[in-house]
This record gives sequence, structure tokens and C-alpha cells, in this order.
Amino acid sequence: MTATGARAIGRAVHGVGVGGRSERSPRPRRFGGRALTLALLVAPSVFLVVVIHGYPLVYAVVQALHDGSLVALGDFVGLQNFVTALENPVFWHAALFTLVFTVTGVFGSWAIGLGLALLLRKRVHVRSVFRTLLLLPWIVPIVVSSTAWNWLVATPASPVPLLARDLGLGSVLFLADPTLAQVTVCVFKVWVSFPFMMLMAGAALASIDTNVYEAARVDGANGRQIFFQVTLPLIARSTYISWILMTIFCINDFPTIFLLTGGGPVNATNTLVVLAYQTVFANFQTGPGVAIAFMMTLVAVLISVALFRQIRRADVS
Amino acid sequence: MNTADTSSRITLPRRSFLAFAGASTLVPILAACASDGEGPQASSGKLPTGVLKYWDSILGTGEYNTLSKTLIEGWKDGGLTAEYQIIPAANLFQTFQASIAAGKGPAVSGGYAFQAFQFANEGAIAYADHLIETMKKNGMYDDYVAGVTEPFKTSKGYVAVPWGMDIRPMWYRKSLLDKAGVDVPTDWDSFLAAGKALAKIGAYGWATAAGTGASYGGHALVSLMINNGGGLFDEHGKPDCLYARNVEAMDFVREMVGAGMVDPASVSYSTDNLYDQWKNGQAAMGIVNATLTSEAGDTEDDLAVMSPLAGPHGDKGTLEYLKNFMMYTDTPSQQGSEDFMIWWLKQFQGTDGFFAKGVTGSLPVNKSVIALPQVQADKNVAKVLKEWGPVGKGYAARGTTLFAGLASVDAGTAINQFTQTMLQGKTDSKSALKTLQSGIESVLS
Repeated sequence: MTATGARAIGRAVHGVGVGGRSERSPRPRRFGGRALTLALLVAPSVFLVVVIHGYPLVYAVVQALHDGSLVALGDFVGLQNFVTALENPVFWHAALFTLVFTVTGVFGSWAIGLGLALLLRKRVHVRSVFRTLLLLPWIVPIVVSSTAWNWLVATPASPVPLLARDLGLGSVLFLADPTLAQVTVCVFKVWVSFPFMMLMAGAALASIDTNVYEAARVDGANGRQIFFQVTLPLIARSTYISWILMTIFCINDFPTIFLLTGGGPVNATNTLVVLAYQTVFANFQTGPGVAIAFMMTLVAVLISVALFRQIRRADVS
Repeated sequence: MNTADTSSRITLPRRSFLAFAGASTLVPILAACASDGEGPQASSGKLPTGVLKYWDSILGTGEYNTLSKTLIEGWKDGGLTAEYQIIPAANLFQTFQASIAAGKGPAVSGGYAFQAFQFANEGAIAYADHLIETMKKNGMYDDYVAGVTEPFKTSKGYVAVPWGMDIRPMWYRKSLLDKAGVDVPTDWDSFLAAGKALAKIGAYGWATAAGTGASYGGHALVSLMINNGGGLFDEHGKPDCLYARNVEAMDFVREMVGAGMVDPASVSYSTDNLYDQWKNGQAAMGIVNATLTSEAGDTEDDLAVMSPLAGPHGDKGTLEYLKNFMMYTDTPSQQGSEDFMIWWLKQFQGTDGFFAKGVTGSLPVNKSVIALPQVQADKNVAKVLKEWGPVGKGYAARGTTLFAGLASVDAGTAINQFTQTMLQGKTDSKSALKTLQSGIESVLS
């Protein structure tokens, strides 16, 4: 290697251009200039992200540690707001129902969505019409669908209670009876969510090579075995992703509960997100309300992390 | 098309581009940091100039808001003009809170019942004592019916000025009472007897709603407590839910539930569900607002207001809310705010005012307005004003002075859960009131 060549490599290693016009024009400056340009171009977006997401988050942490209102911060109280929330029996009731609501919402909508996705794989006439119709509960604004459900079940003169009465079930109070209200909001959530699961499952099923099924049949597998040992493992990754998303949707689902029951009767259908809202905007207790929201977020993150780990383990070979 | 040529013509040097991008970013930021108008400082020594922001919630008919906008945007006081903004009722509090916290709130506003007390606690309210003095001089103060200004007086001064009233009278459907063969009740005993007779024909004698967003259920229970000489608070404003008269009133509610007077589904009813019950003839009696006929679409004069019922000890009463306007410290001119308030309050009065036009959805609190033929033309409204107005009491009853904490009681979860518990009829009155007491103490602490 010649000295010139060695210098060239040295320059190259240090980022100095071989054929540069001068010793000070070189790559670091060029790279630095480019990096600066990129950084400046990205800066407005970063600034906006920090302002839009970072600032409220930090301010919420501060609020959770104070006893003030939305306008005035109040006095620093440490973790007292968290303690207050945890000592409230309504919090634990809401946490339990959030769990029930989430588990029902995720697995109920997944089971129906997957079933319909499997059905829609078959060659049926007007399949696209069916698919569009099945998407309606997901597409229609939740305010509209909850109003429609309210009309269907709220009063003894509503269509569904009338039908129940005609069937000899007596006066069924779908929203006034605590247990039935819980069932009703869970069923509503499944109804609203299954189209999303159907889309996710449908996309995953479409990606499976049909030769796999033929091979399984040649090996003598029956329909049940094909479903559990071929189809489910092959769509596992997509399934876990849809579970994660639906878990987050369910835990954060405010309008479904609030519009249908408001968390009642007597807290029967209260979830953590509704409780957080009520605590801040009905009881005007900002600190405890934000503390509840933080604890809820923590649980959602933990569940999501656990499900993400399952994705890595998913057998997609 | 020669795209290559075009692109070569608009080549921008990096430095120039960065300078342009930087300027583009800085301009709006600097603009946002700059003053949004000429404030009192800008016009020191001169007449105040600027824009006085007035925020209103949606009241009564849509016509009210249309008229208000036209009137307010035409207002001028020296260098001051006014700007009109409607704040939807659904997120009224959040909007006010966030805007005031950001220093972008109104100079004058309407709002919900206890809003002025809440923002006074935050230091955002301009006290109305000077305005009240002006109103005493120009005769406007003396035009108020008795007792409507004092609830707004705090130790620091008047937080707001009343313009209207919302009250909870008892309504009945004549045809259902006739069908059940009962007279219009006059006291609790006859009310209970009528309710039992109505239950036999499938009508509800205590129609109410305690579901999502419905406050009538809670209001009706508090009204009954007040009717019996009770209330959620003692004379000093401390929670006193277990007051004997309250227990007695809630025992009466349990009796009504047991007698089948209450629709078991009402614990989950929205306000619209309740109005539907009034429309379809399921509701025979109940405590609602003073404008039920329009809400229930009654065109046959079948709905009527009862006279206040006498409780077991002879007391009469119900819950009332005073609607009010308030001024804020964030104003281009405090004198301008007061001038605006005087002018704005006058828009509700007179033969051409909002009340005469029937667009407010509220009841007047001025003697001259109550006497207007347009107001008296509605015999239900006239009856409410004549018979229920004088016995109406605020949410702080048995106390008389309102305070900020009432907002978290009136709209809070404790009263809602209490109402649902009572309407389910499974819990004894004392236990339910005890839970309510601790719930109220918790939000007031």
C-alpha cells in the first residue's frame, strides 16, 4: 500500500474525502451538515410530538401527585392520590369489571370474527355484500350504535324486552338489572368489535398457502385437526396482534359503557376508564382521577408486553 | 410535459431552504406568544379597547343562540366590541377549565349552576359587587324577586348575577288520573294513594330517570327531602344526609317503590327515555323541569303542574337552580364587562326580551318579566312561578348560601349511586343515606 493509499484509507476511516478540494472539506463536515439538515427538518415534528404527547403526560404525572384541580395545581401530596384510589372499593369493583369486559370483548369478538372470516373464505354469492354488512357495527359511530341499542333494550316498551315478554321471560330489565346490564354491555362490545377481528383474521387466513392444507389432508388430518394444528398456529402472530389491539381498545373503551349505562346501575358496569372520567369531571377530584388513569395504563402496558412476548414465540414456520 | 426542466428551475439551496423553514416555524410561535389584542394596558389613560369574549351554553331553543349571536356581535362600548361563542353543554366544564387554565377564557359567561363558585376558588372570577351597586342604583336590583341574589354572595363578594331559574315542580297527566279515578294529590298521603291507583292501570306515579346523564332522579329525591323540610346540608353548609326529615322522605320513596309507583327500569333511564315515558302515557306523575310540555310534546293540554304537596309535617318545597352570568378577571376592561352585563341582562327583559319571546327554556327571576302577558300566557309556567317559585330552595338546603363543592355533589357519582340504590328499593334509607354522606364528605374533603 502506498502512502497516498494509506492516507486515503485513513481519510476514509475518519470520514475525510479522498479527492476533496481541501483538508477541511471533508466528510465529517459534509456528514455533519447533512445530519444538521436532517435534524432541523425533523425538529418541527419532534417538537410537535413532545408538545402534543410529552407535555400532557408530564403534566398528568404532576397532577397525579397534587391535590388541585384542572386549573390550579394545588399542594404536593406524593402518592396519596394513588392510595386514595386503591382504598376505594369502587376502584376494585371497576378493575374487576374492566377485566371481565376486556376478556369477554377480546375473546368473544375474536371467536365470532374468526368464525365469520373462515365462513367468508368459502365461495359464497354476494360475499362482498356480506362482508360490508358485517363491517357495519365497526363502521357506524359508537354514539349511533349505542343510541340504537338503548332504543332496543332500555325501557319495558323497547323491542327486545317486549320480545322477551312474549317469549314468557317476564319483564327483563336489560340495563336496570345489575347482572343483565353487565351482560348487555359485554355483548354490545363483542357486537361492535367482531368486524375488526374478522378483518384481521381474514387477512391472516388469506396469507396461508393452500398447499399446506392439501398436505395436511394427504397426511390424513381431519377438519378439526387442520383447524387447531394448522390454521391457528399459522395465524398465531396476527391473532396475538389483534388480541393486543383489542385489549387496549377494551381497557380504554369509554363510550360503550358511558353511553349505554354510565357505569350503573350502582357501579355494576363501571370500568376504570369511566371511573377515572367520573372522578375528574363529575367529582372534580383531578389527582385521584389521573392516578386511576395511570394505573389503568400500567396494566394495559403490562398485558401488551406479555402478549408481545407471545408473538415472538408464535410458531409461524 | 418536461418535468426535468421544471424541477431544475425550482432548485432551492439548502441554506435558503433552512432559513425559510426556520422562519416558517418561528412565525406562528412568535404570533402565538404575542398579545391577542389590545388590553387595558395598551389603552392606559384612554378608553378601553379590545374584544370582550362572551361564552354561552346552549339554552332553550336554537332561536335563543341565533338571537344572542346577532345581538352580542352588534354590541359596542367605546372601543370595546363583543365576541359570541357557544360552548356545548356536553363538555362545558372541560372547555371552561382548559381555556381558563390557558388564559384564553371568556370575560363574561353563562354556565352551570355552581360554575362561578368553582372559578372563584381558582381566582378567575371578577366579583360583581360593583355591578350589584350599579343595579341597585338603576332599579334592576329591586326588580329581582326575593332571595335570588343572596345565594351568590360569598365572603369575598358576589360571584355571579342571576338571570333565570330552573325549578323542579310536580307534573301529572290528567287523563291518567281520571282513568285511575283519583283526584290531583295535595299531600304525601294522597300522592301515595293516587300512585297505588295508577299502578293498577299500569301507569307510574313516580316517573323518573337515574341512568346515564340523567339528573332528574337525584333532583327528585333532593326535592322530596326539601319538601319535607330537609336537605343534604345543614344550615352551615356541612353534609347532613342523615337528618331525620331526609330519612323520613327516603322512607316515603321506599314506600312508593314498594307500591309499584316507580318503573323498575328507571334506574337506567336517560332523560330522553323519561321524556318518552311522558310522551307515551306511561308516566302519570313525577318531578321534572318546568318546560315538560314542550319536552314531552304535549299539544292536548293533558299535562299539568300540581300545587306543591304538603309533607307529613306540613312543609312545602322543591329544588331550584338559579341561572346566572359571571364575569372573569381575564377581561380587556372590568368596567366594560359590567357595562356588557347590564346591557345583556336587559335583553332578557321587556316585551321584546328573551323571556317574552319564550326562547330561554328557563323561568324569569324579575318581577317585571314574570308579570309580562307573554309569560303568564302559559298557565303551567304561571303556576310554577306563583306556587313553586316561592317554596323553591337551592341545592345547599337547609343552608341558603351556595358554594363550589355543590358542583361535585350535584353532578357527582355519590348522588347518582344513591338515587339508583333508592329506586331499586333494596336498601334501607339510613344505610343509603349513610353511604351518600360519606360519598359527599369524600368529594368535599
